[in-house]
Amino acid sequence: MIDNTKDSRFSVKQLIVIYTIISLMSLLAVWELVARFTKASMFLPPASQVLVAFCRSFVEPIGKRTMLAHIGVSLYRVGVAFFFATIAGIALGVGMGYSRLAEAILKPIFEFIRPIPPLAWIPLSILWFGLGDTGKFFIIFLGCFCFITVNTYDGAKNVDPELIGAARMLGANERQVFFEIVLPSSVPYIFAGLQIAVTAGWSAVVGAEMIQSNEGVGWMIVRGMNTGNTVQIMVGIVAIGIVGFILANLTSALERRLCAWNEQKGM
Amino acid sequence: MKSFLEKYKYKLISACSFLFVLLVWQLVTDVFHLVSPVMLPSPTKILGTFWYKLTGGTVPDGSTLLENIWSSLKIALGGYCVGVLIGVPLGVGMAWSRKFELFAKPLFDIIRPVPALAWIPLMILWLGIGYGSKVGIIFFAAFISATVNSYTGIRRTSQVHLWVGKTFGATNRQLLFKVAIPTALPMIFTGLRLALGSAWVALVAAEMLAATSGLGYMIQMARMLGRPDVIIVGMLTIGFVGLMLNTGLEKLQKKYVRRGKQHD
Repeated sequence: MIDNTKDSRFSVKQLIVIYTIISLMSLLAVWELVARFTKASMFLPPASQVLVAFCRSFVEPIGKRTMLAHIGVSLYRVGVAFFFATIAGIALGVGMGYSRLAEAILKPIFEFIRPIPPLAWIPLSILWFGLGDTGKFFIIFLGCFCFITVNTYDGAKNVDPELIGAARMLGANERQVFFEIVLPSSVPYIFAGLQIAVTAGWSAVVGAEMIQSNEGVGWMIVRGMNTGNTVQIMVGIVAIGIVGFILANLTSALERRLCAWNEQKGM
Repeated sequence: MKSFLEKYKYKLISACSFLFVLLVWQLVTDVFHLVSPVMLPSPTKILGTFWYKLTGGTVPDGSTLLENIWSSLKIALGGYCVGVLIGVPLGVGMAWSRKFELFAKPLFDIIRPVPALAWIPLMILWLGIGYGSKVGIIFFAAFISATVNSYTGIRRTSQVHLWVGKTFGATNRQLLFKVAIPTALPMIFTGLRLALGSAWVALVAAEMLAATSGLGYMIQMARMLGRPDVIIVGMLTIGFVGLMLNTGLEKLQKKYVRRGKQHD
């Protein structure tokens, strides 16, 4: 905002790099020192140990699998559920946004389910689907689905009525209006929804695996908790953070490529 | 009569659709027994359980519904307050001071992609399964939304407004408190609402993993004892309380943050 770094020796980019290195290094240094030289060492393993364990987890298995396999299992669960949530969410969102009748019929039921957090479905999903993957798909599906539906619905509701009017005037039928105007102009909203949904899905898989699973990143940290293995928990958290970061950036990069015509504002 | 029908046509359809779902639900469970009551209890059974829990029934988890709600709310609001009290100043500070941002943003950016739930095991190991660990988890959930939104809000302050302020001799402090923060207020409030939502969700997860009371504990316990009616009562209560919290903050926002455009 107010630029109080009047330092012309470095460019802005260089400054960012320098400060990032300084701040991360000081974090690691404080962590390392606290863990090595105070009583906190009982609960806090040194940063170097976590780093080594993280690298080793790619070759040595934790439980039955190595790190990449655990991440793979979790990503597979998110992927399947996300796929179905995208189809269902877009269909429901566009349907409710476009047709008032569909809105009147479906919205009360949707609004009834929406405020329930996906993780609160876990007990019921275990009763319904058992302990296998289906229950987890269901939880993650619910986690993604609501965001996609809400955003798509907003998009379909906010179509410029002049465009629809113009199309009708030029003789477009209902079908054409729907596929040529309503659907394309909701695409930026849909992408915004997908982006939130990926993050929510990743969070949901961690939660679902923590409560009931034998493998995956969520299992890894809960297993660490149950065996009192702080290093394993931290390794898991690092992995979860990295994958979450990649997923979030992947979707925004995809959005920038596919929706290049639409300039989105935001952080 | 006809105009009444015209006017409320869609409202009526909505009501009918909702009642229809309940009716089908009742029919397949209690009337025709197509679905086992272990999988899905009927709406009337759920209503009965709800009434029982509300009027002081403590089976199967040892607390009444209101006690559970209170115990969950206490923890959620505790963690939420800590998260907001740290998150909002942090976001404002990062957006206002370039030096502070350069230093603090990398640290924030490595915490940000970790879902709040992932901190649960660490918090439980460090702080036990009591009040402290849950407040810690909810802190992470609330803190991130509060910071991100405050940061974005301040960043959207119009440069022209700041120039005007400077021209009239405002100090840096005045610019922050009289120009930037008022501009950011709607955005900060949106952050507060999002933070409350994620705090509530994180709380349920935390209670399902380690607790001895609260709504999350209630549904987890009901699952172990095979009481789907209690699970559904719990789920609906969780959803309803979450909705109420959100509506409450929305009302506050409408009342106190009138000026400025909404950035949702």
